[in-house]
Amino acid sequence: MSTFRVPYTGFALKNAAIKQELMQAFEAVLDSGRYILGSEVKAFESEFAEYCQAKFAIGVANGTCALHLVLRELGISAGDEVITVPNSFIATAASVALIGARPVLVDVGEDLNMAAGSIDAAITPRTRAIIPVHLTGRPARMDEIMAVARQNNLLVIEDAAQAVGAELHGKRVGAWADAACFSLHPLKNLHAFGDGGMVTTNNSDIAAKTAKLRNHGLVNREQCDSWGFNCRLDEVQAALLRVQLRQLDGWTKERRRLAFRYNELLKPYVQVPEEQPGEFCVYQTYVIQAERRDELRSYLVQHGVEALVHYPVPIHLQPAAKELGYTAKDFPITIKACSRILSLPLYPGLTESQQDEVVNWIAKFYQGN
Amino acid sequence: MQVPYNYLPFQFANPKPFLEDWKRLISSSEFTLGPFVEAFEQKFAAFVGARYCISTNTGTDALILALKAAGVRPGDEVITVCNTFYATVGAISAVGAKPVFVDCDDRYQIDVRQIPGAITSKTRAILPVHWGGCLPDIERVAEIANAAGIPIVEDACPATGASVNGRHAGSFGAVGAFSMHPLKPLNVMGDGGMVVTDDFSLAEWMRKYRNHGMVDRDHIDFWGVNMRLQPFQALVASRVLDTVNDLVRIRNRNARQLDAAFEQLADFVQVPKRPAGHVETYQLYMARFVRRDELLRFLIDRGIEAKVHYPLPLHLQKAAASLGHERGDFPESEKQADELVTIPAHQYVTPEQIDYVIRTVRAFYNC
Repeated sequence: MSTFRVPYTGFALKNAAIKQELMQAFEAVLDSGRYILGSEVKAFESEFAEYCQAKFAIGVANGTCALHLVLRELGISAGDEVITVPNSFIATAASVALIGARPVLVDVGEDLNMAAGSIDAAITPRTRAIIPVHLTGRPARMDEIMAVARQNNLLVIEDAAQAVGAELHGKRVGAWADAACFSLHPLKNLHAFGDGGMVTTNNSDIAAKTAKLRNHGLVNREQCDSWGFNCRLDEVQAALLRVQLRQLDGWTKERRRLAFRYNELLKPYVQVPEEQPGEFCVYQTYVIQAERRDELRSYLVQHGVEALVHYPVPIHLQPAAKELGYTAKDFPITIKACSRILSLPLYPGLTESQQDEVVNWIAKFYQGN
Repeated sequence: MQVPYNYLPFQFANPKPFLEDWKRLISSSEFTLGPFVEAFEQKFAAFVGARYCISTNTGTDALILALKAAGVRPGDEVITVCNTFYATVGAISAVGAKPVFVDCDDRYQIDVRQIPGAITSKTRAILPVHWGGCLPDIERVAEIANAAGIPIVEDACPATGASVNGRHAGSFGAVGAFSMHPLKPLNVMGDGGMVVTDDFSLAEWMRKYRNHGMVDRDHIDFWGVNMRLQPFQALVASRVLDTVNDLVRIRNRNARQLDAAFEQLADFVQVPKRPAGHVETYQLYMARFVRRDELLRFLIDRGIEAKVHYPLPLHLQKAAASLGHERGDFPESEKQADELVTIPAHQYVTPEQIDYVIRTVRAFYNC
């Protein structure tokens, strides 16, 4: 049990309402004796594709697997370069590095998503693909990024791990690029009770390859076309995800209501994540930018508000990225944001009075100090 | 009479304990690694007699993790067999190495005599498979590997509960990899796997690599992946582990009954040798039969869900095309692929059902 008056996550609260339905779905799979790639995975895949306005969806073990499989299928390999951002979860760049390609990082814009204008300068003859990240549930500028990619004949993979349901100009993330990768980790808006991930695509070839590669390269039980992996979405998680997918629009609506309420109340004190024209943000994390962030965070924690930083150390300054040769002088917008960003509690089930408590402490911090 | 191959509906017929586990998990919100996963890892390490266990999302992940930990890099060679599940070679390929096949022996296990001839300056690991839940002559494999200074990575995927002279599968090599796929002796309701090792530094590396290379939430030491075992599956595995010794005992009872009957049909059936000191799990009870395909149809038509693992060895799969093998390269594996049948002999098959299998086989051969 959290000791915080306003904890950062709110699983229990959210799940109480649909607990019964989840238990039934769970028991049905248990009784079926079919635990691998059964009807639940299949049904969830088609429902998820429809939700994302994409033609195909393939269930995989987690969001990192999704990136790994897609990079492999697109034929990206040793010596290739893939452009992405330094302010994502580590798995984005790691997936590129682990298949032997080189992650080439470009700075983000003021929206903290990939700045389309910075891509051109990073393109070399070895560049094969671009991975924009829809960070915190805010859609990256896919229209601009796709234009740059098409002009330069580059593939695009959306890292939509944090952004299921987000839209740009009415088009959902997951439907824009050659393929998109989603995480269903417990802290995501739509989540498994464990790990899970999805790949979406409009390309039937990519869809078929992903489905094969995640299951040992098998065409059927006895025929193996290409060596593959085992990165299957669990049948039992799929059943639970189907129940939750039906709730997702309602949860997103509530997240947005709470986010806009925070925005109004916090605007006098900190920089708030306002929605920009054309965007439909799903606020997987609600991230403000604040002066004296570390002090503010300690102050909040001390007063029972659990606030986190996503992420305090950017990818290019992690020990793992040493080989890439970047320094703290690179990517000034990312670096500046790293010392200012703060994630506040936001989830369906967070009450207005809890929200007011967060706001009051922040107000008090800046007024009193 | 029906003799089903799939035992899961029997095994999980009483959902209550698992529903209780599920509720416990939900109320704990421990969905990413955490105490349930750690408890299972400790329990499994103790079961195998290894110092460390690191759980993974699948058996395939366990093999990939084990090969990487053993130092296998792109361009290296790994010696293994061609009568195995695709994942063995999939894992070798996933780390960028080249599988070097050797044939199997008449126990369907790696033919130890062929290993020395397959070793080259590029060999970085020897990967014996405990095919069907039975160990090869692992002590001899270890001697060869030690003499050559090459680590063993055990594909113990189907072999929880198997041992040689009291020493558990997975504990002979530098790293042992296990699967908990639903049709393995230790199984979960989905996918799961783990590695075991006695080496602290390998264990630490594997623990980090399977979770993004993380030292803590904000710092990573090296690029890693997500190969985490689902906490719910850890709870299931922990429960099932308590039953493994019993189910292996029942499977052995069934196997002895089949062996005894088939030995009297020596003109038609060939049962593998069962060397003293080996405990097999009978994840697959296999024997070789004359007129295999006809027999298979005959059994299936009479309610006995027999199977073939597998009709086409790996070196002849399309995925292996780049290795340049052809029919005739591994004659023993090829012959077995044409002759083997897997008979249901799991823990829910009764002596009466085994009798029925024996009568049916006899009827087929008119004896």
